[in-house]
Amino acid sequence: MLLQVNDLNISYKEVRAVHGVSFSIEEGELVSIIGANGAGKTSILNALIGLVPCGRQSSIFFSGKDITSLPSHERARKGIRIVPERARVFPRLTVYENLLTGIYGLRAKVDLKERLEWLYGFFPVLEERREQYSHTLSGGEQQQLAIARALISEPKVLLVDEISMGLMPLLVEKVFEILGDLNRKFGITILIVEQNALASLRISNRAYVLEAGRIVMKGNASMLIQDKRIREAYLGI
Amino acid sequence: MYLFIEQSLNGLAVGSIYALITLGLALVYGILGVLHVAHAGIYTVGAYIGYGVYACTGSLVMAILVGMVACSCLGVLIERFIYFPLLKFPPYVPLISSIALFMGMEEFCRLVAGPSVRTFSLELPFPELKFLDIVISPTLTGIFAISATIFLVLWFITTKTELGLAMRATSQDMDIASSVGIDGHRIIDIIFILGSAIAAVAGILVGIYYNEVYPAMGTVPAYKSLALIVVGGLGSVQGAVIAALLLGIAETLLIGYANIPLPRDALAFIAMIAVLLWRPQGLFGKGA
Repeated sequence: MLLQVNDLNISYKEVRAVHGVSFSIEEGELVSIIGANGAGKTSILNALIGLVPCGRQSSIFFSGKDITSLPSHERARKGIRIVPERARVFPRLTVYENLLTGIYGLRAKVDLKERLEWLYGFFPVLEERREQYSHTLSGGEQQQLAIARALISEPKVLLVDEISMGLMPLLVEKVFEILGDLNRKFGITILIVEQNALASLRISNRAYVLEAGRIVMKGNASMLIQDKRIREAYLGI
Repeated sequence: MYLFIEQSLNGLAVGSIYALITLGLALVYGILGVLHVAHAGIYTVGAYIGYGVYACTGSLVMAILVGMVACSCLGVLIERFIYFPLLKFPPYVPLISSIALFMGMEEFCRLVAGPSVRTFSLELPFPELKFLDIVISPTLTGIFAISATIFLVLWFITTKTELGLAMRATSQDMDIASSVGIDGHRIIDIIFILGSAIAAVAGILVGIYYNEVYPAMGTVPAYKSLALIVVGGLGSVQGAVIAALLLGIAETLLIGYANIPLPRDALAFIAMIAVLLWRPQGLFGKGA
């Protein structure tokens, strides 16, 4: 098991956002957590990268090691990378500098030229806008930059937070296609949290359904996409 | 003409020293969002340590080095034990503690070294420069050389090195910076080390240039440097440096050369009020 989350509880002051959520991801899988706005999806990802503290009984294991109390930057070193909600690129760094932040502390280990070539193949616009400040990019370009910033370090698992939010439908399709390719062709393990259930279920192996901070359903994506309740609640069919 | 050039050079020296003090303040504000008033306290302590070491050893290099190291430690202590625990509160909480700390440091200097003015009475060991009729004294040359070196080194670190990239990333989004593997605490430590070491140099240079070290020497710089980071655009380090250089020249020329009947220290605050009225994001700020 690459990532194993046990009994995850997350509270903000008095309010509990996530109640005893457990899930796991195998190496090479593409897994989705789908749920409505406010179901606690982003909280779960933030707990995985160590930006939000989790409750006492909770534990997170990565490659068999307990990382529950590890600070954020050390989890990044271990190969957990995130594409944050709304991209959150560094606005006053250039596109190229944003990419370099992705391999902070790893420059000796990574073949930068080869990685850049590979990434520019997916996202040619990043090469064109190399020297531009990232706040001048469009929303879709910022999302591409955020994906590239996470991928440049050759992560063991890629966490993707609400990537469809604020993107044009056409771009949503393209971004999910790229995520699917990254998983199938390059074997990158991916965890997606999404409101856009249909788009993410289509490319996933497995999925969990999150409602009000609890997992209410799980299974193969191909099965869930046929499920009547899912179709009514999330697909609007 | 001769007087004009001479006064401009004096102004540039004063401005360089302002810039050295303001640098630390701008760096700290950029990364923590804290108005680090106690920075001027570090500057005063640096001047005293420099004075003390110089009086004991007679070595200016020693004085500057010891001052830099001691002030770096002091800066990191303040950051770790005062600002960091207070960051979860609204910004006025660390601000109030910073003002209190500044007053405490002033009084501490008064207690240890006494209220009287100490004098360095030496010239910086730099050559005297002559262009036509204009003579630049060794101390002035030294101030230019030292501050230019510091600006260049800092510019190189922030724009050309991986550390600088991490510093800029952390100041723009600390959470995301840590999610790409940057240890934010370490970066903050480094910023306090750099800022405080530079403040120590500024304290010692002021001590030599004005030939006086006294407990309240940080008071005017404390508030002036606050005005300067507002004028430069909060969080913009280059803006703060340019504003500081301009202020030094403007103060010296308008009051010393043009004899405008204003208290010298008023100018910074007039500039701040003007900026707040007409360009609240600062001269070099990035949009409102």
